[in-house]
Amino acid sequence: MTIIAYLSLGCLATAGLLGVLRIVRRTSLGDRAVAFDMLTSVLTCGLLVSAGVTTDGLNLDLAVLLGLLGFVASVAIARFIESRDEVES
Amino acid sequence: MSDTLQILRDVISAVFMLTGSLLALVSSIGLFRFSSTRARMHATTKPATLGVLLCAVGAAAQFSDVSSVAKLAVIVVLQLVAAPIGAHMLGRAVGGK
Repeated sequence: MTIIAYLSLGCLATAGLLGVLRIVRRTSLGDRAVAFDMLTSVLTCGLLVSAGVTTDGLNLDLAVLLGLLGFVASVAIARFIESRDEVES
Repeated sequence: MSDTLQILRDVISAVFMLTGSLLALVSSIGLFRFSSTRARMHATTKPATLGVLLCAVGAAAQFSDVSSVAKLAVIVVLQLVAAPIGAHMLGRAVGGK
C-alpha cells in the first residue's frame, strides 16, 4: 500500500508541478484560470489519496473545503474576465 | 479472514487511486499539448470530475465508519455539481480564443 501511495502521490505531484508551471508562464488570464481549476482538482485528489492511505478523517474535511473554494474561485475569475472584456469593448 | 478483507480493500483502492492519479497526470500534459484555451479545458475538465470520483472511491475502500464514507459522498456530489458549472462559466468567459 505504501508503494501505491508513493506512485499515485508522485503522479499527482508531477501534475501539480506542471499546472504551476503553466500558471507561472506568460499566458492569458483564461489559461491561468483553467490551470488553476486543474490545480484545485489535483489537490483534492491528493488529499483524498492521503486520506485513504492514513485513514485520517481531517483530510476529508480539507477536501470538502478545497472543492468549494475552487468552485468559488473559478466562478469569480470567469465573472471578472467577462466584466473586463465588456469594459474594454 | 480479516487479512483477506484487508488485501481486497488494498487492491480496490490501489486500482482506483492509481487510475485517478494517472488521469490527473494526463490532463496536466494536455494542458501543454493543446493549442487553444477551450481545447485545454477539454483536457482538464475530465479529471475534475472522474479523477476525484475515482480517488474518492479508492479512499472509501479504506474507511470502515459511515461518517467518513458519507463525507466522501458529499465531496463527490459537490464536485460533480460544481466542476461543470465552473468550467461552463470559464468557457463562456474566454470566448472563442
